[in-house]
Amino acid sequence: MYAPTTSPAASQALERTFERAMGAAGRALAEMSGHAIEVVATEVARTTARHVVDAAGGAGTVVVGIYVGITGSVDGHALLILQPEGARKLAALLLDGFAEPGPLEVDEFGVPSLDELELSALREVGNVTVGAFLNEVGRHLDEPVVVTVPIAVSDMAGAILDGVLADLTVESDDVLAARTSFINNGETIEGAVLVLPRQASLAALTLALGAA
Amino acid sequence: MVGTDQEVLVAGIGEMVVTNNPNAALVAYGLGSCVALAIWDPKARVAGLAHFMLPSGPLTNPPVKFVDSGLPQFFSEFRRRGGDLRRAQMKAAGGAAMLAVMASTLEIGKRNAEALQAALGQHGLRLHNSDLGGKAGRTVQLEGSTGRLLVKSVTSVSVL
Repeated sequence: MYAPTTSPAASQALERTFERAMGAAGRALAEMSGHAIEVVATEVARTTARHVVDAAGGAGTVVVGIYVGITGSVDGHALLILQPEGARKLAALLLDGFAEPGPLEVDEFGVPSLDELELSALREVGNVTVGAFLNEVGRHLDEPVVVTVPIAVSDMAGAILDGVLADLTVESDDVLAARTSFINNGETIEGAVLVLPRQASLAALTLALGAA
Repeated sequence: MVGTDQEVLVAGIGEMVVTNNPNAALVAYGLGSCVALAIWDPKARVAGLAHFMLPSGPLTNPPVKFVDSGLPQFFSEFRRRGGDLRRAQMKAAGGAAMLAVMASTLEIGKRNAEALQAALGQHGLRLHNSDLGGKAGRTVQLEGSTGRLLVKSVTSVSVL
């Protein structure tokens, strides 16, 4: 569970935004992959990054993080966090018909390794998922929201997040977090979408969404 | 990494832990651009671990978010527990560039490492061993009984 820092009404406004965004992300991923993929935000909160890291299993837990920088009318960072096994399944869905999944290789620390093709597919998943949320945000703002080219990293959750937090920390460590499920043929892959705006952007964004 | 009968003390981001329990393990999980400083007094068996986030800034809560304002707090707590900085071993790890595309983040890891070494120098102290920089996250564990610092990344384990 994420510990929320907002009122129930603000949480509901955030939930509606994430619901619409994840619906759009699911449709885009289904079109790209040719598979029925539903994306659902199962829990949405404005919370602290520490709660999100704890919910992902702790700072030392190995995850796959897909990072996207945000510029334009909102300035900050966004991440899609997935467990390595789930990331690999999601990549396989997108690569189905284009590349045969290789054998699952697990290193001496028990971490499944991802090849460049899988990482490329995951970058696209991150781009689509985070982009869908930012498109929703953009509908409420006068200026467009622009995202950078996504990058995918497989490492400890705390390590992936602390650089982003360090960039923001003199201002705030508030994040908009959505526990997210990717559902295909009854199988659920759990993840988390994190949006970490700069303080000024967070105020503008939550106000625009009616989540202030 | 941690024995079943060990007391485990965790230093989260911006936090420090100091103990005179030689059976303790002091741990900082998932260091990216952050830097951990481990200090251990072999005579008094006092061990401390600080998890710094940024090079400089005001004294805050948590107390060691910033290297420049947090280091004196860390040293003060170490002395209060009976540790002597003059005979203490100092080791550091972290300061990675996790997301290389983010220039500011790349700089933060490097700047954290540089700030720590400069701040130690101002106190007339230096690192005895370190594992700084790179592009991988690290979890570190300081053994209160031996002063060994285990550094674990996704691909390796080393002992400082």
